[in-house]
Amino acid sequence: MHSIDRRCFLKSISAAAGASVLTVPQSFAATPKARVVVVGGGFGGASAARYLRLLDPGIDVTLIERGKLYTSCPLSNEVVSGERDIRTLQRGYEGLARRGVKVVHAEVTQIDPIKKAVTTGDGIAYSYDALVMAPGVDLDYSAIGGLTEELADTRIPHAWKAGPQTLLLKKQLEAMPDGGRFIIAVPKAPFRCPPGPYERAAQVAMHCLHHGKKKAKILILDSNDTFSKRPLFEQAWKALYGYGPGGMIEWIAGASGGIVESVDAGAMTCQTTFDEHKGDVINVIPPHRAGKIARDIGLATLKGNWCEVKPESMESKAHKDIYVIGDSCVGGELATGNGFPKSAHMANSQAKVVVASLVAKLNGLPPPVPIYTNTCYSVVGHDWGFSVVHLFRVENNQWVYVAKGSGISPVTFGTKEAPKPVPRVYRKMEAEYADGWLRNLMTDAFG
Amino acid sequence: MTKNLLALALLGLSAAAAARDDIEVLARTCNGCHGVGGVSVGLSMPSIGGLPQKYLKNIMKQWKYDERSAITMNRIVKGLSDDEIDALAAYFAKQRWVPSPQPAAADLLAKGRSAVSENCEDCHGITGSDPDVDAPRINGQWAKYMELELLKYRDGKFKMPHRKMKKSAQDMKSADVPAAARYFGAQDK
Repeated sequence: MHSIDRRCFLKSISAAAGASVLTVPQSFAATPKARVVVVGGGFGGASAARYLRLLDPGIDVTLIERGKLYTSCPLSNEVVSGERDIRTLQRGYEGLARRGVKVVHAEVTQIDPIKKAVTTGDGIAYSYDALVMAPGVDLDYSAIGGLTEELADTRIPHAWKAGPQTLLLKKQLEAMPDGGRFIIAVPKAPFRCPPGPYERAAQVAMHCLHHGKKKAKILILDSNDTFSKRPLFEQAWKALYGYGPGGMIEWIAGASGGIVESVDAGAMTCQTTFDEHKGDVINVIPPHRAGKIARDIGLATLKGNWCEVKPESMESKAHKDIYVIGDSCVGGELATGNGFPKSAHMANSQAKVVVASLVAKLNGLPPPVPIYTNTCYSVVGHDWGFSVVHLFRVENNQWVYVAKGSGISPVTFGTKEAPKPVPRVYRKMEAEYADGWLRNLMTDAFG
Repeated sequence: MTKNLLALALLGLSAAAAARDDIEVLARTCNGCHGVGGVSVGLSMPSIGGLPQKYLKNIMKQWKYDERSAITMNRIVKGLSDDEIDALAAYFAKQRWVPSPQPAAADLLAKGRSAVSENCEDCHGITGSDPDVDAPRINGQWAKYMELELLKYRDGKFKMPHRKMKKSAQDMKSADVPAAARYFGAQDK
């Protein structure tokens, strides 16, 4: 039975992935070629585990992840607005297990980079030849006065890790009366999903329009002075919901008093540098930093918050044989402000870089030339979506942001002097593409 | 280096084969939206594995040089060299075409078949599996994607350079568009 499974498995790989130099045949030796442990089963960790097994089934892969069901953050704003069932965003780990990944549901309590071992809460140690860290971000509640993790779970959800809080925020939105005010507080960048808060504002506005709450207000209190895909969001907000004073959506920049310093859950108010804002729903997204386990072992070399890695392989600058991917790492062309966006697709792309590099290394092959890409869609209304794409290459061991293979959907057509509106059909297309993109991305990561 | 060469020799691989791996690294970046081996599971995203090399090369170059409208792909391919585009087209053309047959109601299929025999069969074959050299196979392609693509050919707001495809698409009655898409989407072979 086992050998039949293995044959089918190999057959399905070659069918799906094509014959590949680095699709190394299964070693039938009792001991694996190498042991790789992956910590964290989000888009980055799942992609790394899956692609390791796709490219070289001779590698023993263990994925350690707390949760048994993953909920995609991308498109979860559609769950808040009631446009999407959360189940369409959820995946278990059976697909990875079928690929031969050993999935362990446990909490990682300790990592020893010298002895090369990962210990879980039940005291079991997993030794590794290479460790892929994909712990995601921690939210720093202490940065906002009056905010606690318990409040986030009950009264003031961030809903920035999709799951129960997404549904809580949806409930709060549904209960909000006409004329109610929905506050979204955006943390200082960098944060996960740069266009996310602004897409959320649009989804909330759409919900209100569809539910007879035409006098509702969505107030974005931003710690930053500009934001991702801004001209596209502002255009859509204006056309669909009204934007600015008198409109449904209002945005206050950090420099204009948008920075939320504290909250009062009893009075349901947000205190900014200059003002107090009362909300019927308060959605405070606390500042981010790399997951605790990564910080604990010294991987967060950038200001103690983010993990720096090598461009050619995503190997940590702090520890040999530890690779850091996903929202906890930092990379890209930072000097020009073109860093890696913290997105699911970026994590998936980083995972592929790690895997290509590791598989080559473990098989004594020359390192492949890495390439990093990102595609990220935002849906702001029925038939209105847009995207951003990124391309990074590596030259002389440095990331290079390739501007001509990057950028947002067109804001206008025509010339600068005589701009013409982009036909609505273009926005409709990208709203449709968003769904197909996410289904493929989830399958690429989780199988 | 010696170690690498030795490893290559031991595995029976040539240096040329090792270089080929770079195209796999590049091709893997397409999987996020188009699936492993170009087999999509997203209804609005086309499967691309097993499409004709010429077709893949043409559309990517037309997007790159703004000869053909796209919304997302035109931005992505502008970052690729012509050689990379050629290599990607060759790579995906070598993959197996895996249809994703989607069930549809019998009356819709009948309507679709009649529209297809009138407007599409000449270039794509009656089930979409026997295309002309520069046309894609579309048996078991995602119907949703094909409907959106037909919209681009019919709408007039998109630059679509294939004159015959444009004319055929525009000749179709509106009601036949989803029927034809669902008919091709339902085909296994």
